[in-house]
Amino acid sequence: MLGLWRKIRRTGRVAEPAPPRPTAGPLEAAVGLGGSVQIRHVDAGSCNGCEVEIGSAFGPMYDAERYGARLVASPRHADALLVTGVVTRNMAEPLRRTFEAVPAPKLVVAVGDCARNCGAFAGAYGVVGAVGDIVPVDVEIAGCPPRPEAIVEGLRKLTGR
Amino acid sequence: MNLTALNLTGVGLGAAVVIGVCTALLGLVLPSRARPAAVGVGTALIGAAGVLAGAAALAGRSFTVALPGVLPLSGVEFALDALGGLFVAVTGAVAVAASVFAIGYARSHGLGARGVQVVFPLFVLAMLLVPAAASVGTLLVCWELMALTSLLLVLAEHRQRREVAAAGRWYAVMTHLGFLAILTGLLLFAAHATDDSFTALRQAAQQLPPGVGGAVFVATLIGFGSKAGVVPLHAWLPRAHPEAPSHVSALMSAAMVNLGVYGIIRVGFDLLGFSMLGAGARWWWLLVLGLGAVSAVYGILQAAMSTDLKRLLGYSTTENMGLVLVGLGAAGLFASLGQAALAGLALGAALLHVLNHAAFKSLLFLAAGSVLHATGTRDLDALGGLRTAMPVTTGLFGLGALGASALPPGTAFVSEWLLLQALIHGLPSAGGVTSTAAAIAMPLAVAAVALTAGLAVATFVKAFGVGFLAKPRSAAPEGARESPVAMLAGMGLAGLACVLLALLPTLVVPAVSEASGFVLGGGPALSGELTLRLVGVTGALSPLLLAVALLVAVVLAAGLTRVVTARRRVGVARRSARLWDCGGGPLSARMEYTATSFAEPLQRVFDDVVAPETDVDVDHHEESRYLVRAVEYRRRVPDRIERRLYQPVLGAVAGWGEVGRRLATGSVHRYLGYGFYTVCAAFMLLAVIR
Repeated sequence: MLGLWRKIRRTGRVAEPAPPRPTAGPLEAAVGLGGSVQIRHVDAGSCNGCEVEIGSAFGPMYDAERYGARLVASPRHADALLVTGVVTRNMAEPLRRTFEAVPAPKLVVAVGDCARNCGAFAGAYGVVGAVGDIVPVDVEIAGCPPRPEAIVEGLRKLTGR
Repeated sequence: MNLTALNLTGVGLGAAVVIGVCTALLGLVLPSRARPAAVGVGTALIGAAGVLAGAAALAGRSFTVALPGVLPLSGVEFALDALGGLFVAVTGAVAVAASVFAIGYARSHGLGARGVQVVFPLFVLAMLLVPAAASVGTLLVCWELMALTSLLLVLAEHRQRREVAAAGRWYAVMTHLGFLAILTGLLLFAAHATDDSFTALRQAAQQLPPGVGGAVFVATLIGFGSKAGVVPLHAWLPRAHPEAPSHVSALMSAAMVNLGVYGIIRVGFDLLGFSMLGAGARWWWLLVLGLGAVSAVYGILQAAMSTDLKRLLGYSTTENMGLVLVGLGAAGLFASLGQAALAGLALGAALLHVLNHAAFKSLLFLAAGSVLHATGTRDLDALGGLRTAMPVTTGLFGLGALGASALPPGTAFVSEWLLLQALIHGLPSAGGVTSTAAAIAMPLAVAAVALTAGLAVATFVKAFGVGFLAKPRSAAPEGARESPVAMLAGMGLAGLACVLLALLPTLVVPAVSEASGFVLGGGPALSGELTLRLVGVTGALSPLLLAVALLVAVVLAAGLTRVVTARRRVGVARRSARLWDCGGGPLSARMEYTATSFAEPLQRVFDDVVAPETDVDVDHHEESRYLVRAVEYRRRVPDRIERRLYQPVLGAVAGWGEVGRRLATGSVHRYLGYGFYTVCAAFMLLAVIR
């Protein structure tokens, strides 16, 4: 226990300094959320690259939670979906149902090139399409995989903070 | 024939005997179509006569009759006082509910056979006569009659299932060993008295040597305790109760085990009354207290692990009898320390718990019978989803489960609250006891009762939730239909008793304090409004007010939620969404909790106590060891006490048998030789002695 405290004291604060606040304010659809956005992550067929980057975006270094975004465990608790990967045949229906399960007002963030336009997997036999073909997308984050800074920047468009 | 003035008690008891014999004869001669109804109604009348006799005896009209010619040597002597009256009334009431239920149950389970129908009223009659017996001979005859009739009823379905025969063997052996213990104890006692009547025994108790008193008490405690299903003599109970027909299980579990408690009170408090007050007798009651606490905790732990509905209820009987014994032990301890008020309270709590347990346990066993009737299975892991198909049974089982789990407004709550009050007021800090042993025992007993109450809640949430709610877990409960009216009526009677005892315990408190006052010779410690009269401390409780408050709170909470949601709803359109199932297919019955998985966390906590045996088999695909085809998980919770205590004894007996078999080789010469040498040895012995 004491060792843990010592480690905490010695390490100190590792978070990067916060980039300047977005000037545009939150998206129109996200205004009602008041700067606090609960997010459910859905892997629709990703290679897990984006998941690693999301993990570090919510880690101590980039700490997306300080801008008001938070990951939750059920779409019933969520305001927004964070969808990664191309939408595969098996995940199309679950994605649709997850979207239906989110209470309105709801938003969808497509993370990574696969989610935006099928990326490297375009035309593959098990792929139904990009996320935008299945559910309406509000924010897109580009990159293969996108850097954590890009993910944080995308999420700050929802929180406006 | 020597008869005191024939009063209501005598009339009731006489009517029970007459109706009992007539019903048994009817069962013998009537055709099989009319038999269950006639026997059911007749047995219900026996029960009603018993309730009448018991109530009259509790009202102070005791009754004595001596019939010297009926039995050779000792004769038969009956007397019904307040203590016996309470047990007769409880037995009678349980018999009414069980026999009304039996009318519907017997018809469909092939129990209309002549044997079962003749024995059933005799079993009820024998149970009614045990508390009325007033001499050692009479008590033993009635006790044996009760044991034999119940054994025949346990064996009723031996043609359908193999396990019944094994259960019957266990029950036969253990009940007769118990009988032997009672016989030894009471004969030892009677040897110091002028004759074997209870009056003579009471007089003899005043000059009894302390060692003899202790031996009598321990021997009868073993015998009566084995009937009450007290650990470690409980091994027959979780076997015989599940295998007996359900109305018989209800009678055995709610009425017959009580008579074990009756025996302990009768011998310990009443017959040995004088010697129990001495300081030398304090260990008796510490022993009773300890046995009770161990039974309560062990019984409910095994119940929590059980997946067989009736086995679960059987272990819960052990638990409840343990709680009653805790009350008895505390009462004896307080009495021997001169704390009359506390002793009265503890004994009153114990007797009230006997009453409450009879009500909810008969309801639960009858409801389990209704489930068995509809689905053909007792396995909780295969049940579920009975709520829509069997709403009445579900509701009544829920009522019984609430009663068994010691929470307000349940039935057991009142008596367990009283028991805890008695134990807590017995703590040295509350000015209770001054003996060191008692000062150690009381806090431990409080802890045991509290732990038992908590585990009972988990057990009955499991029994009700897994057994009745959610979706059917197998094909068995899918085609279930509600039981016939007679069975529902039987359960309804027991349910009514549960509600009355839970909400208006003041109706029976006078009877209970009458009985405890009779036993302890002092005034009643409980008054009408369930107020405790103790030196320095008073406590009051109204279960009715508690129930009303609970109801008001529920209505208020529901109303407030409605108001708030209605206001919010004005601007927004309502949207119906599908149940969240993680986006996959619909929820299936395989995703539900089972009885095994529900008990798993508890099993982990008490891993060292219950010592479960788990077995995990992983089956791989042939192509690769990394691909799993199936995982099979098996769990068994063996009765640990049984394994440690009974297996070695059984093994030794079997070993003896093997050795004995070597003597009998089948050779005639050898047998002639045995005879010759035995005669020679006898002659030599005679030559030496004479």
